[in-house]
Amino acid sequence: MHLFLLGASHHSAPVDLRERIDFAHRGIPEALAAIVETTGLAEVVVLSTCNRAEIYAHSETHGRLAEGLAGFMSAFHDVPEPELAPHLYSRQGGDAARHLFRVVAGLDSLVVGEPQILGQVKDAFSIAAERGFTGAALNRLFHTSFTVGKRVRSETGLGEGAVSVSYAAISLARKIFGDLAGRRALVVGAGEMAELTTTHLRSQNVGRIGVANRSAARAAVLAATVDGVAVPWEEITAELTTTDIVLTATGAPRWLLTRAQVAEAMRPRRDRPLFMIDIGLPRDVEPSASDVEQVFLYNIDDLQSIVRENLARRQTQVDRAELMVREEVDGFMRWLRSRGAIPTVVALRKHFERTRRQELERLAPRLASLPPAAQTRVEEVTRLLVEKLLSSPTQQLKAAPDEEAVAADADTLSRLFGLDERAADERRRTLRDREAAGTGAEPPPAPRNR
Amino acid sequence: MNATPLALYLVAGVAYAVHFGTRSPSSGRIATVSLVFGALVHTFIIGMQTMQVGHVPLVGTTGAISAFVWVLALAYLYTEMTTDERAMGIFIVPLMVVLQLIPAISNNVTARPPVLESRWFEIHVFSLLVAYATFALACVISVTYVLLFKELKGKHLGVFYARLPSLQVLDGMNGRAVTFGWVFLTLGLAVGAIWLVQVQPGAADPRVQAMSLLDPKIFTVLLCWLVYTFSLYARRAFGWGGRRAAWLSTFGFAILMLNFVPIGYFGTSSHNFY
Repeated sequence: MHLFLLGASHHSAPVDLRERIDFAHRGIPEALAAIVETTGLAEVVVLSTCNRAEIYAHSETHGRLAEGLAGFMSAFHDVPEPELAPHLYSRQGGDAARHLFRVVAGLDSLVVGEPQILGQVKDAFSIAAERGFTGAALNRLFHTSFTVGKRVRSETGLGEGAVSVSYAAISLARKIFGDLAGRRALVVGAGEMAELTTTHLRSQNVGRIGVANRSAARAAVLAATVDGVAVPWEEITAELTTTDIVLTATGAPRWLLTRAQVAEAMRPRRDRPLFMIDIGLPRDVEPSASDVEQVFLYNIDDLQSIVRENLARRQTQVDRAELMVREEVDGFMRWLRSRGAIPTVVALRKHFERTRRQELERLAPRLASLPPAAQTRVEEVTRLLVEKLLSSPTQQLKAAPDEEAVAADADTLSRLFGLDERAADERRRTLRDREAAGTGAEPPPAPRNR
Repeated sequence: MNATPLALYLVAGVAYAVHFGTRSPSSGRIATVSLVFGALVHTFIIGMQTMQVGHVPLVGTTGAISAFVWVLALAYLYTEMTTDERAMGIFIVPLMVVLQLIPAISNNVTARPPVLESRWFEIHVFSLLVAYATFALACVISVTYVLLFKELKGKHLGVFYARLPSLQVLDGMNGRAVTFGWVFLTLGLAVGAIWLVQVQPGAADPRVQAMSLLDPKIFTVLLCWLVYTFSLYARRAFGWGGRRAAWLSTFGFAILMLNFVPIGYFGTSSHNFY
């Protein structure tokens, strides 16, 4: 029973190395097949995102897994081992489980609490599971990790609050207007931030996006890229009366919109709010415009300070999330250890059952004279007796506190009941089966309908 | 008997506060469940009292307050279920707890004087209680609107930003609640007036004789009606929404509460049926 992880992430490896060991280049299914071929592992999952490349494995034996997998990574990606090795980390047992759970919870991410990693891990797992590269241990490990991810997101504030400027602007808009579908937006000027925010607005189903630029030709081009409408430069103030969200990014030396202009535009709007996002440097909207009733004016500094606050707030939730991770790791490891006891439990049960059968066979001639109902009853009573005798030892075996205890229990029981020979036979047969499964014909890849 | 719902409302209030602070789903569930149980027990008590005296116990300020808290619990639960928002609970449930203290302490059902034995009386009181409960919700929604507005305007995003729905949603809820409450307020006052015209000429009861526009209770409630009528008119005619509508709604409810408890107990010579 051995859980193992080897990988590199943004914590351990620079971006150029991460690019070279990205499993997506040659395909994750190919990587999985190659790992099984070179190492003989039965359970493998490969997680590959732009920030990390990790191999999770489970094996029945304690082998030289670290060396084997590191060698595989180096060969598969064609990166010399001495260059790769210092950037790799490996974890075993509970530490490997903790690592995965922290990854899924977003605790190991570049931006703490970012939500995408949960989906990425789900994809990585299903690629492996659909092709038969996972078994009971990794299935349980990954499903537990999804639970951790969901718990952390719903029970802590780790994933809350926008942590990018453009998304902070969208969140504010949603807090003012609620649903943004059908709202009107106006984008004045251009730039990366403006385009990013406009894309976000588009994804919120904003009804109409007007685009204004000093150059009418440029406005037309920008309008086409964001599926908007070009607005003539002179009509910006008129447009304000019907627009809900205004984004300015011209950086012109003079105010694009003065307080008086904004106040004038607000008159026909009455109490309908106007959200102004001023990301121009120098600023485009006179700051005192925010004194006008129902005008919400945010400049780039305001948005950045919201992002900083949100990041700080996420940091305060880390301890709660870590606690959840710890709980789930403990639960998972208990389960994994109880599985370590299974061969012994099985051997013990077989031993008892065999004894029962032998005794019944020995008594068969005498039992034959009994009526059929009584014969069934004898069968039943003996079976129940065995069940009862074994119930407490089974529970105790599964509850062993660590792997050493499991091994000690197994030894003692083997000695007491003479299970050794038969158990060894059993183990040899399992290994043979596994090798056949590992190196023989792969199960055909399941169709992926995603 | 009224102490049992009080205790349950208190538990709900504490749970709503914990939920507001920690946003843990379990405390939110505890809050809603205790409130539902509180309302059920309260329904049972009002039902028992109805059977005991043969009519709904709406007479007297104490009975009216108990019935008001009950209607408020139902109105709030309806809002919570339909909008899936629990953040208002921390504002509305404490009000219920404070008001419910009165019937819990002076726990007696006032016998109905013969002059009130009329279908009109029941419609009158019940319409007004529904109106008051709706205005209470509108007031709470307005207070939260103003708090969220302050955070957004001042660019200090804090507790309300994280917990409340958007400004437009709150404004819309306030508008709908005031409209709904206004309909019942108008109905309740109209029924009261029609009924008064019928009974006043022949009634010997001094309280009925004291019913005029100058009675403090009647005067104040008419003032309230004017505030809410203006609020609705201003929304349609000059587009007054947002903060202005929120302040009007809060102002209207403040007068209403003043009328309901202190004036209802001490200031009126026409409505003192306790």
